[in-house]
Amino acid sequence: MLLLVQYTLIFASVLLLVALGGCFSEHSGVINLGLEGIMVIGALGGALMMRYLPAGTSGFMIVILTLLAAIVFGVAYSALLAVASINFKADQTIVGTALNMLGTAGATVLVKAINTAANPDDVSSTIQYIEPKKAFIVNIGSFEFNWFMVVAVIMLIFAYVVLYKTKFGLRLMACGEHPQAADSVGIDVHKMRWAGVLISGMLGGLGGICYILAGVSEWKFENGVAGFGFLALAVMIFGQWKPTRIALAALLFGFFRALSNVYFGFDWLVSLNIPGSVYNMMPYIISLIVLALTSQHSRAPKAEGIPYDKGMR
Amino acid sequence: MESPYAIEMLHITKRFPGIIANDDITLQLKRGEIHALLGENGAGKSTLMSVLFGLYQAEEGVIKKDGKEVQIKDPNDANDLGIGMVHQHFKLVECFTVLDNIILGVEPSKHGFLQKKEAREKVLALSEKYGLQVDPDALIEDITVGMQQRTEILKMLYRDNEILIFDEPTAVLTPQEIEELMQIMKNLAAEGKSILFISHKLAEIMAVADRCTVLRKGKYIGTVETKNTTMEQLSAMMVGRNVNFHVEKKPAHPGEVILDVEGMTVASKVHKNDAVKNVSFKVRAGEIVCIAGIDGNGQTELVYGLSGLEPLKSGTITLMGKDITNASIRKRSTSGMSHIPEDRHKHGLVLDYPLEYNLILQRYFEPQFTSKAGFLKRPPIREYANRLIEEYDVRSGQGAVTPARAMSGGNQQKAIIAREIDKDPELLIAVQPTRGLDVGAIEFVHKQLVAQRDAGKAVLLVSLELDEVMDVPDRILVMYEGEIVGELDPKTTTQEELGLYMAGAKRDEVKA
Amino acid sequence: MKKNLLKSDAVQSLIASFLCIILGLLIGFIVLLFINPTGAWDAIVAVMKNFLTYSRANLQMKNFGNTLVKTAPLLMCALSVLFAYKVGLFNIGAAGQYVAGVCASIYAALAWGWGWFPCMILAIVFGAALGAVVGLLKAYCNVNEVISGIMLNWIGLYLTNMLLTKVKESTSPYTLHIKSAAPQALLPGLGLGALFNNNQYVTIAIPLAIIAAIVILVVLEKTKFGYELKATGNNKNAAKYAGMAEKRNIILTLIIAGALAGIGGALLYLTDYEQWQCTQTSVPGMGFNGIAATFLGGLNPIGTIFASYFIQHITSGGAYVDKTMYCSQISDLISSIIIYLCGFVLFIKYAINQGIAKSEEKKLQKEKLAAAEAKGGEK
Repeated sequence: MLLLVQYTLIFASVLLLVALGGCFSEHSGVINLGLEGIMVIGALGGALMMRYLPAGTSGFMIVILTLLAAIVFGVAYSALLAVASINFKADQTIVGTALNMLGTAGATVLVKAINTAANPDDVSSTIQYIEPKKAFIVNIGSFEFNWFMVVAVIMLIFAYVVLYKTKFGLRLMACGEHPQAADSVGIDVHKMRWAGVLISGMLGGLGGICYILAGVSEWKFENGVAGFGFLALAVMIFGQWKPTRIALAALLFGFFRALSNVYFGFDWLVSLNIPGSVYNMMPYIISLIVLALTSQHSRAPKAEGIPYDKGMR
Repeated sequence: MESPYAIEMLHITKRFPGIIANDDITLQLKRGEIHALLGENGAGKSTLMSVLFGLYQAEEGVIKKDGKEVQIKDPNDANDLGIGMVHQHFKLVECFTVLDNIILGVEPSKHGFLQKKEAREKVLALSEKYGLQVDPDALIEDITVGMQQRTEILKMLYRDNEILIFDEPTAVLTPQEIEELMQIMKNLAAEGKSILFISHKLAEIMAVADRCTVLRKGKYIGTVETKNTTMEQLSAMMVGRNVNFHVEKKPAHPGEVILDVEGMTVASKVHKNDAVKNVSFKVRAGEIVCIAGIDGNGQTELVYGLSGLEPLKSGTITLMGKDITNASIRKRSTSGMSHIPEDRHKHGLVLDYPLEYNLILQRYFEPQFTSKAGFLKRPPIREYANRLIEEYDVRSGQGAVTPARAMSGGNQQKAIIAREIDKDPELLIAVQPTRGLDVGAIEFVHKQLVAQRDAGKAVLLVSLELDEVMDVPDRILVMYEGEIVGELDPKTTTQEELGLYMAGAKRDEVKA
Repeated sequence: MKKNLLKSDAVQSLIASFLCIILGLLIGFIVLLFINPTGAWDAIVAVMKNFLTYSRANLQMKNFGNTLVKTAPLLMCALSVLFAYKVGLFNIGAAGQYVAGVCASIYAALAWGWGWFPCMILAIVFGAALGAVVGLLKAYCNVNEVISGIMLNWIGLYLTNMLLTKVKESTSPYTLHIKSAAPQALLPGLGLGALFNNNQYVTIAIPLAIIAAIVILVVLEKTKFGYELKATGNNKNAAKYAGMAEKRNIILTLIIAGALAGIGGALLYLTDYEQWQCTQTSVPGMGFNGIAATFLGGLNPIGTIFASYFIQHITSGGAYVDKTMYCSQISDLISSIIIYLCGFVLFIKYAINQGIAKSEEKKLQKEKLAAAEAKGGEK
């Protein structure tokens, strides 16, 4: 039971971080379908940092530097989306999709190259981080408390405050709702959208490293992040682009994802004799159902997905 | 010596590929005056304002503020010079409050955090001073158009702008709201603000402006003092000839009922109330019935309900004795209903299709254009398109194969009218068919409508233009807040009376 | 004359596609340089050469055949994406629909002993069913087709793993060989294999896929259905106004798109070229590469044939890179870079048009100047 709570919280943290990322991007007017790829690259950044940190590094420094690396990678990678969709008015769906594929392919190529260089017989795309991972975890009894749960809560507060209490948030949302209006009062729409996308890169990168640290001590980059970027988008839509509601939605989705990891710990679930694949499918099925029920009346930022062209005002 | 002019635009020339949008135009705005800028659609008013706001850079000419030459490279420069504008299409974020919209871009803040308290006080004080009456905490999507416009005015005042530009501000207002706006403008001028009032409505210009500059086809025609001129003179300056606004038509001979609407109610997409409430009316063969009213009083939804774009909540629609309440759009169309839509880019045309494909948009499935196996018949389609192009004088670069996108607005509209009329409908619904067209094209459209009437068809016209409402139809039904509040005879009524109905100040129990 | 040529949309698409390929390869090369400068050039050459790496002509032909065997399903996926895109829908679910086709065809062949044709029909039905779900959700619940498509990809993958576990080899995670366990389901070769040095995997799949492309072209350009679909894609409000059944068309389109991708699955696995790995944890890239082929092909069915071949050519070429330095995924890397660049196609076309307009204006001015001078001379 405790294990279920633990996994629910950690997966909810992932979904919350990434969904908040999507939320920032969409509030600025850019649909970020590339979150999946951003997660992979963020995870790559964090994993590489953990791999190359010297053995004696203090736990605190490991956590900080790993997070920082994930953020830097995520932000840098999201710039690819920003430049294409904002400056070149590229189709956001195509570019987002390309980023997802590029993320997995690029990370695989890089990690394999690193592994092969270190050991010519090693052609895997796996990075191990058994030791540094311990820095992220505090054992409270049998409950593994993970620092990412704190990070997620901090980011939730950060998102709420930034969006609703600051000048920046007001301007950002204006750009996603009515960029012509924002432009007419001297707000640089392109700059704000860049900011929105880069913040989503930061949160997506954090979510990525959080995801690969969630259950295991090594990650095979060929696998990407199994649609989590898209689950996060479903969470965002279910949460109606509002941080607090997104947090609740993330908990719900996190629960179903956690089930697939721990269902064998429940005798009555095991006795039902349902194949493991069914539990694996659960989060995706739930998200389809949730989207079917909520999408009809959802109120997305009005100008999302439409490139802003100064000539059109 | 200090210049008497707050802002001057001297000898402005702005070219676009193929056209000269502004050709040596001079506009001088005195401090504390209300100055009208008059011109038809396409006369170059918008371009001139875009130059003033730094959206475009003029190839020739200078802009002076208080006698000193200034460079305006982007809207921020204009803001810095104290120039503000109420755009024709409001620049308001609908899910924000009035206050948030006002402070957007000049937010009072401490370390990046919003400090709304003092802003609210300033807004309330300004609102009081100029009699603007807005609730700073209301959401834009919940308030009336008039309130939204006053929010726009507050936006300028909050920024301490000295030069206020109003771009066609009355188009969306009721006559009574227009009165209020005029008063507000006069108050502002009395406080020393300089006002530029862009319009093509002569009466309003005569009523409120001190001077008037007239543009025609990108050229500067002249500047006159309104007290020394007449509407006729202004009109002549604007169009270059005396136009006959009156539509020539013989008396109507209404026949049998073609369209019979009973108790129609249509839900609104934007708010919780119904957009159309229990509306009943009839349209007969051989008459033009006009639905008049201020924009946003349910006309759009009424037409959506009639054409099948939106379902009815209740009520019935009968077309030539057949109940079509639940019929599909296609069924309505083939049963004899034609529809010239309000928004030709949204509904009327597939812009990336060639003209010929657009001309068969309502009939492509007919056996003359599609074979039994489902293949399009190219030669008959081309022939048909060429015939319509000829008959309705639709002009385009490459004839039938021109992409609709590459055609002018007037010719796009002609193509739609050709398509809808050539279907030989029993009922023609025309929604704002002359919007954005020049005088010549308007005349053409009105003639077509009258011709349909004379051919014994029923015509339902929906219009926002008072001139059109008064001249074209045989009967006027006025809509206010989703209801039909009056039936008027255009021959006996006056614009003033019409205005009272449109503003909801007067209503009858109508059973048309 | 030359200018007119540049103005044509087809020529512009072609230029844009080639630019994407060249830039994609260039960027890929630069990435490889970063990873390991010594072998980068050789690796790019290996990817480009693919089967030409072999010096013997018969081996070249055999491996050319292998590339074609995998081009057929890729082309089907690309057509699936293309068809949906014409209605304005982004069928990222093609990947899952392809998997559904794989699942149906293998299962029917191995478990029920069906022949190749009914197997293929079942693959169509499975693919179409998955497409229909996306379509229904889009039409009636306004669910973004990209998100629902991705979700269904995963659901499809797990379902397939579950089902095909019943027909797998007892000692490996792979499904049984069709050739030995269900030869009745093998696609007929019609002797096509003989052209490719007796490559047994070369079957009617390849001509079938090309025929499918032509059929799609005809449907889009010549029929009432195509007229409706493209109208809906360009302006769905106008399509609704014109009485076209928008919802029906959305659903129908995605059903057809799903069917196309589903056939793709059957076209590959019924040749026994590959067997399904029942422990697979990621959705096969076929459907995603289809997106690359669609856009690289300039959204034209015929262009898509060539683009599919190109994408498959470099994907297969990835197998020939020096494994001590890089892995075969560098071709995935290059094709994803190419998709990314395809996002810029509109901009490239815009730039071309701007260039034309500028040069025309210059020419016009020159003519004016010349005319003025000529006038001056006369005086």
